[in-house]
Amino acid sequence: MEAESKDKIVSIEKPELIAPPDWKPVIMGILCNWCSYAGSDLTGTSRTQYPPNIRIIRVPCSSRVDPWFIIKALQTTADGVLISGCHPGDCHYISGNYYARRRFLVTKELLKMVGFHGHRVQFSWVSAAEGAKFAQVVKKVTDDVVKLGPLHLYKKENFNR
Amino acid sequence: MDYSNQIRDIAAKLFAEGKIDVFVGYRMSGFDDNQVPVVITDPKETSVLVFTEKSVFNLTNYLKADHTRNKRVGLVVKGCDSRSLNLLLTESQVKRDKLYIIGVACEGVVDDKGNKMQNCMECFIPDAVVYDEMLGKLQGKKDYIVNADITELATKGLVERREYFEEIFENCIRCNACRHSCPLCYCAKCCIDQETSTLYNGTNTSSSAFHALMTWSLHLAGRCVDCRNCEKACPSHLPLHLLHKQNEKVIYENFQNHLAGVEEGDRGAFYKYSLKDPDDFIM
Amino acid sequence: MSFSTFVTDKAGLQKLYEAIISKHETYAPVEKFGKYDYKKVSSLKECDPDSPIAMTMSVKPLFFPRSSKIMKYESNSAGTSVSETEDDHLAVPRVILGVKHCDARGLQVLEAVNKWDYIDSDFQKRRANTVIFSTRCDKADTHCFCTSLDYDVENLDATDVALVNGIGGKLYIQARTEKGENFLKENLEKQSAVGSQQSAMDDIKKQYEAFAASFRLKMDYKDVNEKMSKRFNSPAFEEASRNCVSCNTCAFICPTCHCFKISDVKIKDTGVRYKSYDSCNNVYFTLEAGGHNPRPAKYRRWRQRSMHKFVFYKERFGVNLCVGCGHCAISCPVNISIFDVVNHVASTPVVL
Repeated sequence: MEAESKDKIVSIEKPELIAPPDWKPVIMGILCNWCSYAGSDLTGTSRTQYPPNIRIIRVPCSSRVDPWFIIKALQTTADGVLISGCHPGDCHYISGNYYARRRFLVTKELLKMVGFHGHRVQFSWVSAAEGAKFAQVVKKVTDDVVKLGPLHLYKKENFNR
Repeated sequence: MDYSNQIRDIAAKLFAEGKIDVFVGYRMSGFDDNQVPVVITDPKETSVLVFTEKSVFNLTNYLKADHTRNKRVGLVVKGCDSRSLNLLLTESQVKRDKLYIIGVACEGVVDDKGNKMQNCMECFIPDAVVYDEMLGKLQGKKDYIVNADITELATKGLVERREYFEEIFENCIRCNACRHSCPLCYCAKCCIDQETSTLYNGTNTSSSAFHALMTWSLHLAGRCVDCRNCEKACPSHLPLHLLHKQNEKVIYENFQNHLAGVEEGDRGAFYKYSLKDPDDFIM
Repeated sequence: MSFSTFVTDKAGLQKLYEAIISKHETYAPVEKFGKYDYKKVSSLKECDPDSPIAMTMSVKPLFFPRSSKIMKYESNSAGTSVSETEDDHLAVPRVILGVKHCDARGLQVLEAVNKWDYIDSDFQKRRANTVIFSTRCDKADTHCFCTSLDYDVENLDATDVALVNGIGGKLYIQARTEKGENFLKENLEKQSAVGSQQSAMDDIKKQYEAFAASFRLKMDYKDVNEKMSKRFNSPAFEEASRNCVSCNTCAFICPTCHCFKISDVKIKDTGVRYKSYDSCNNVYFTLEAGGHNPRPAKYRRWRQRSMHKFVFYKERFGVNLCVGCGHCAISCPVNISIFDVVNHVASTPVVL
């Protein structure tokens, strides 16, 4: 079920570049330990399939995500970033995701201004019981990034593709 | 706007009364009609002090220097400077009882060419918000105006914006002058310092500039007071205010009209939250 | 050995520039955000060889780039292999237009340290393959003091070809080195050589006199060198550096500052080793691995900077490291000029 890229996929930010035919997107998934990571576990145990393009990193809480993580991911391997945490009000640490929400909005808007497409960085609230939703979210993010093409902006030296 | 005489008198009085050890103000540069900051420890030198619409540099930057640490300091602040001072006070970087603050009801400062600076045309807090003594006539708060450059950028397409910013990051020489001249960048070690940065330890390429400037501006989001010290220091004349003003606009529009440092005890937009914050961008 | 001088006018110069750009790889000042920096150009419209000195970055990055790759390395089960980086794009034959005299002198000064205990072959190669076209300024800027230093601005031999504005729209093109002479012979067509014509020489001399008279800043460098060497412990450094914000701008844009740091940018088992600028005004500059910092205070770093420019380099190589371009004062957010600092220190009493 891996997302297949079609012929002649161009990068939306740099239309002059055409992706190689075997290009597959890489999504960096940063999931909170208490809800989204458990949710992704449930997706696995209930045998729901989702695109394997996502690479998951577990963090204690969505507010652990410094905007710097997103920038670093985009500058190295990732073509897109998905950050997922508990629903508002369900945070294990009472209010972590409320703080995180503010940071995410500002980060996303700033990245959009400097020339990244808004779909490069996406956020979701996935609870431990929402295995199906997690599969859906990953599928949507992967589809979006496939449409955008590979990311070529400000890549770190050795990651130039 | 000329408060030179008042400031000289106040500084001389403070030294005479023994209230301060150091005074931070402006003096004439000596070669043109621009002004430079001056750190005075000798009471006899107070006669060099001036304050006109050429007094541009944000002096709260000097509160993190060796000369003022743990000393009683007198300093002059304009509206924007006092907002950064407010943040420094809340973040426990300086002690209020060690400061004697001369607030100014600022009518706007001018750049080297004599034009009024852009941030002064859009200024919404011209009067100092924290002070011991006030000079000039209070003007009160004004309405928040979205930065003209940001409005213009928003009308451009994705590719056009990307090209514009690529040029900015390409022309950055990674000297970190922006960070060092910022009054709110007081960390002894910063994640964008080339020596401590884990991703780009020491290179001066455009992707390293992107990394540094983006991280830097996001760490200042909700705290930046738009004093433009960074732009004044930038040797490549980069429009660094774009990054900060964009963050400020998003924060103002979405987080209950938050503006950094306007109220006493304000800690910046990211240190608080509201249940009503926008949620529609999250799946 | 004397070199030829040619006379032309504005249109002739434009034609010469156009011919150079079409035939050679050319770098010239290009405006970005109100600041000129030397970039590769493909037509005369893109650039401005007459860019004002105050708004132009130094030419140093074309010889000593802000960040250059030294080597690549890779380690696997068989061991570690080191490979050269790709070809040096700055070492190809090229021409640089619109260089200022002080910048060109900066390169000449840097040659000494690059030929010292370690011979920097990259720098030498880039220098040897470059023809420098410089323009003599007509008027000094606020912070300029090049005429007060230990080099001959009038007959500078650090540049290959020098342009001098004469009276009545006349432009003199002077070859200053053999390289420049040969280059002019190849590229100049139907231009009249003036040889050693008296009127032309007078004209050039007059222009220099007018230029030299326009300086605001003047000093006696021999006196300063001598006085500075005796004032290492002077408290004047503390006074002079008090309002420095340690932003490092001065070192990054200086045409002669050459301190660098080595850093590895690596991913898993492969990496690139970079050489990038560093500044002695940076707190980290002398920080040792054990945590000790020999220069923790700002004035000590300023002392190092000004003593290096006017004493240490002079002792070792016989030339001042400062060329008097004034870029540090122009770019400094608080307008500290090295001229003011050294003169202030030199004017204080000797402290042993």
